[in-house]
Amino acid sequence: MNFSVFGFFRRFFSRFHDLNRENVVALTIVEEQELENIFTLLLLGSFVGLPSPPTFLAVELLPFMEREIKILNRRAEDAGDMLAEMCGTIGID
Amino acid sequence: MKILFFTGKGGVGKSTMAAAAAWQLSQKSRVLIISLDPAHNLGDIFGVDLKDKKSCYTNTLYLKEIDLQKLSKEYLQREINVLSSTYKYLQTLNLDNYFSVLKYSPGIEEYALLTSIERTINNETDFDYIIFDTPPTGLTLRFLALPRITITWIDRLVQIRQKVLEKRYTIHRIRGTLSSEETLLDYKEEDDDILKTLWKLSDNYQALTKILQGENCSVILVFNPDILSLKESQRLIEGLNNLNLPLRLLIDNKVTEENIEMVDHVEGNMRKMVKDVPVNRVYFSKALLDCKDGKLYDIQEDITSNLL
Repeated sequence: MNFSVFGFFRRFFSRFHDLNRENVVALTIVEEQELENIFTLLLLGSFVGLPSPPTFLAVELLPFMEREIKILNRRAEDAGDMLAEMCGTIGID
Repeated sequence: MKILFFTGKGGVGKSTMAAAAAWQLSQKSRVLIISLDPAHNLGDIFGVDLKDKKSCYTNTLYLKEIDLQKLSKEYLQREINVLSSTYKYLQTLNLDNYFSVLKYSPGIEEYALLTSIERTINNETDFDYIIFDTPPTGLTLRFLALPRITITWIDRLVQIRQKVLEKRYTIHRIRGTLSSEETLLDYKEEDDDILKTLWKLSDNYQALTKILQGENCSVILVFNPDILSLKESQRLIEGLNNLNLPLRLLIDNKVTEENIEMVDHVEGNMRKMVKDVPVNRVYFSKALLDCKDGKLYDIQEDITSNLL
């Protein structure tokens, strides 16, 4: 097997770089999912008693909303422990 | 092509006036009259049996009664088909037919009505006049308000959706080649099905609002010389003002010599609300009461002079 010191460091630093990028993007992902959650909640809010838009609007968009509804569900499950959620988001272990 | 909506409280004679106007206009132009009222009596006025199909009364006059239930069903069936094709895998388990419960969704009737108006306006372009005989005040105002309410909602939803896509784009740019759920999501506006659907709906409604508020659309308010009719007409005028819909003619129906004082009182009050809209009086006709052969649309007064 061919071992090259140069290759090793290249891989090492590229992983390091990926990790940094992950850290940067983590908060944006949370934000994006939260926005999708709001979108779904506005559109399908009648489930939880919010005033809803004209019904047909929800009916019209329902076929494309699989991912959004999943997020809404997950958020509803996590809502029981908001403190843990927030700590997780800002990176306190 | 001109579009006329006959509105008013239940029982004031909207359908009769709409039929009379259609008959008078059809002497010189091609007219299509459509009843949107769930309790139809357009067929009765002309003495024919209409079954949700456009039927020819004379060469220049066509009649149609809209079947609201059938329309709602058709609309929902289309939606159910989209759902079923998205969740096609459920067919293997024989579970796809459960979506059919959607046909009991509330609020679909107004939308179905509006869709039918839109379709009629777009398809029946070879008529000079399309006359709509509307259901009583409440439902009429609700479906006429629908385009504006919907556009407001769509605008808000589009804003949020664009924000979502913006964030997705940011995530995609930073993460680049890393494979994960987020990087595979659509981030271009023209790829997003939800945004595309919202835009399509928004375009439809803006076009419809433009037609309804435009030069060629007129709302005609029919009322009777009595207090109840006056109160409801005032509410209707306010509603139409809020929606920017053009009220172009008032028809005071069932005027008699005995109630002439009330006629002046009611018309005076209406005048205060709408100053430059002409009023046509239609006298109560005993001939109509005695009429057994069903030519109820043939009235003495010319109510179309202000509509040409």
